[in-house]
Amino acid sequence: MTTPTLDEVAQALSQMVADKMDIDVASIQADSSLQSLGLDSLDIFDLIFSAEDHFKIKVPNDQIKIETLHDVSVLVHKLTVEQNK
Amino acid sequence: MSNISSRCRVVITGLSVVSPLGNTIAELSKQVFGGISGIKLLDVPFADKLDCKIAAQASFDPADHFTKHTYGMLDRTSQMALHTSIEAVKHAGLEITDQLKPRMGIYLGTGMGGAHSVEDGYIRLYRDGLSRLKPFTVLMGMNNAAASAIALEHQLTGPNLTFSTACSSSSVAIGEASRLIRHGYADVMLAGGSEALLTFGTIKAWEALRTLAAQDESDLTTSCKPFSADRTGLVLGEGAAILVLESYEHAMARGATIYAEILGYGSASDSTHITQPSVNGQAATMQAAILDADLPADAIQYINAHGTGTVLNDVAESNAIKKVFGDHAYELSVSSTKSMHGHLMGAAGALEAIITTLAVYTDTLPPTINLKNPDPECDLDYVPNVAKTLPKLNYAMSNSFAFGGTGAALVLKKITQ
Repeated sequence: MTTPTLDEVAQALSQMVADKMDIDVASIQADSSLQSLGLDSLDIFDLIFSAEDHFKIKVPNDQIKIETLHDVSVLVHKLTVEQNK
Repeated sequence: MSNISSRCRVVITGLSVVSPLGNTIAELSKQVFGGISGIKLLDVPFADKLDCKIAAQASFDPADHFTKHTYGMLDRTSQMALHTSIEAVKHAGLEITDQLKPRMGIYLGTGMGGAHSVEDGYIRLYRDGLSRLKPFTVLMGMNNAAASAIALEHQLTGPNLTFSTACSSSSVAIGEASRLIRHGYADVMLAGGSEALLTFGTIKAWEALRTLAAQDESDLTTSCKPFSADRTGLVLGEGAAILVLESYEHAMARGATIYAEILGYGSASDSTHITQPSVNGQAATMQAAILDADLPADAIQYINAHGTGTVLNDVAESNAIKKVFGDHAYELSVSSTKSMHGHLMGAAGALEAIITTLAVYTDTLPPTINLKNPDPECDLDYVPNVAKTLPKLNYAMSNSFAFGGTGAALVLKKITQ
């Protein structure tokens, strides 16, 4: 699998959030806080789960320290890079 | 004897269903009193792998009622229960004020809980070979998920309990909720049941018990034949049914429409066999309800039977009725509406309590359909095939019995406002 760029990860995650929360993907900004998008702690676990499936990565529990969608993108991108080394 | 003077009267002020006979009380009434069956070919992708391809499915799409975010966190059981609870509150015209919230709770029955979610988890692990489960798996599969979703939705902070006694679960929930109100622990309760067990694994498990009805190939909708000599078993169903129970004083103070009063509730355990019905256990259940209602047995005019359509149940229940009522057993009317809506398991008692409420409210007895060839051992009046009017239908009973032996019976009384 080709390693996706940070932008590609961000786009895919935005779409996941839009699908999950029933909101318009255009309304999602990279620096939006997950809370402002309506995600609670369980929704965040579910988002991470979907990202793990999509990018074939495993997010360790101790790395889930995220507040914004950008934080998730950076984390997921870092793990995809490590995965594809 | 019960002490009537020291207890609150408990009345039914709201009704709602998601059922094989429709998802509104108007549709349910039309079908159940019209003798129309909701049993048909099962619409599932695995139907070709089933021996018995019929069921009583509810026509319910969660996307019609909830956002994807809401229904995505809920098993089908909880989706149906949550929708039904919202409609029940609307039907009751009830405003859930901040003052009421701590005095209002939810008692719900379910047999299999989140069967779809549990099975989806197994499919991922064992069939698809995946190594992890969705984050909501526990929360969707747990038996109290539906009741908790309802408490959250309506912000009820009174008692929130889930009862799981197989086929009698929701009758137990209603009975126990009525006792809460009766003894002053709550003013209003949502009470009922929900069941969504039409999964491949669950149906296979029921097939293995050899209690499911054979398909009547001449007309699949007639496959469930309670009290008939040619009955072959029960037909699985799904749905949710919830009643709004309220103290009489609370209902009157807000000018609510009262559909019936819950006059008595009885429960007893067979304690004889895990599946075989016990005449003594069923009779003890009915006697407990009549005693609780403080009525003479011959006051009961109609019984909505458990009436599964299995060979064993229908004879046992008929004999239990004779044991309790003596000669009056031949004067009262009995019907099994499962002939139309199938067996909703953990939601069965609540659906049948709603039908019994409608019977009392409208002086109409719902029929037992598909009863063209009576079993000589079942020799009571089962209201065969066509509904009938019974003016001044003042007292009725709804029976639920169960694998595991827990019986529950409710006695309802007409309220003249």
